[in-house]
Amino acid sequence: MKVKEIALDGLIRQNPTFKLVLGTCPTLALTTVAINGIGMGLAVTFVLICSNVLVSLLRNAIPDKVRIPAFVLIIASFVTVVSMLLEKFMPDLFQTMGVYLPLIVVNCIILARAESFASHNKAGYAALDGLFMGFGFTLALTLMGVVREILGKGAFFGLTLWNFKIEFFSSAPGAFLTYALFIALFSAVYSSIERRNKHKRTLKPLADESLSQDATIKEVAKEAR
Amino acid sequence: MSKEPNQVVFNDETQEVRGNRRTAIKSVVVLVLIAVILGGLLAILNDALFISDEERIANTIKTFYDNEEKSYRKVNVLKQNRENIFGSIDNVYLIEDGNYLLKTTGYHGYKDGTVTLWLLAEFKNDSFNGFIKIRMESYVGQTLMSNFNDSFYQMYIDRDITQGYFSVDTDDINRIVVSGTTKTSVAINNAVNSAYYFINTVLEV
Repeated sequence: MKVKEIALDGLIRQNPTFKLVLGTCPTLALTTVAINGIGMGLAVTFVLICSNVLVSLLRNAIPDKVRIPAFVLIIASFVTVVSMLLEKFMPDLFQTMGVYLPLIVVNCIILARAESFASHNKAGYAALDGLFMGFGFTLALTLMGVVREILGKGAFFGLTLWNFKIEFFSSAPGAFLTYALFIALFSAVYSSIERRNKHKRTLKPLADESLSQDATIKEVAKEAR
Repeated sequence: MSKEPNQVVFNDETQEVRGNRRTAIKSVVVLVLIAVILGGLLAILNDALFISDEERIANTIKTFYDNEEKSYRKVNVLKQNRENIFGSIDNVYLIEDGNYLLKTTGYHGYKDGTVTLWLLAEFKNDSFNGFIKIRMESYVGQTLMSNFNDSFYQMYIDRDITQGYFSVDTDDINRIVVSGTTKTSVAINNAVNSAYYFINTVLEV
């Protein structure tokens, strides 16, 4: 049950990009094309999983007063590992990510999950939290990248679809507009689902109550006969 | 009698100080241990994932030739030809198809920093035809480097080389990149001109 909760939190209920509005720098800067979104998302996912596991394993050993420097130290180490791996095996992506790759160290999502989840939960759950938070972030960045690439470059994952393009969507203001529209859409859909679920929850006890009332009336009628 | 309460306070303080000292020592020890362990891990990975100069050149060639591998040989550049008024010539390679791959550094960027570029110079019938690929390798002291995308470098590729040395157009910079990057674009322009100067004067084509 907890796994389902963690998955839903990471992907939807506490989606780091559209719900918590964290990690906005790479979200705005790197989503000009979809592949950048996937690359950045997977890099953050790797760092999230590794740092969450290590923070969780060391949660009883790290004194409370130095927990933030310790978390930053752990996160920075894993970001360096990602940076080395990308430079070695994906030099193009490494080049594209540029300054945003080392900036993962100060990404609020990673520090927030280490502080609020990993330092209070077992390593397995912390790893799952990192995985689903990372997937939520990757999904959001990829969606934004797809929309901006189609509208701004007339392409889909590098494949040219048509010659029509609105260059505004490849620019910084276009990134802000796309992000705002996604947040609005996500909030609208999420609120409507929440309202429906709430409505269902309210109706259920009433239905049970009316059923029991029906049963009582029937019993009374039966006795009277 | 009056000294007794003071004595108790003194003991409490001593205990508190001792407790604080213990926590401080533990904090430092834990931080140092984490740093040492993770530092060791990074040292091992740094060795395992080391990228040699040959690998970097091969990667650049693969990027420029759409993942195609090409053989190349290093061109020996004399010391007096390594620097010019625009910047420096770091390395020159002759590719099997007759094109030259140049790594150049442009001077006079933002805060007197530099920008290093990889340029692929196309040669047809032994004459210079223009730059066909440009990629940024590294930079020093430039804060807005990430704003320079392919569109900016494309200007150098599209331009007719018979017009002479390249110059920076502030309007183009503001339109393609972002306002405030003029100094950085000067360094990029100098890196391109440095390669152009080398081709014209040293390779003499």
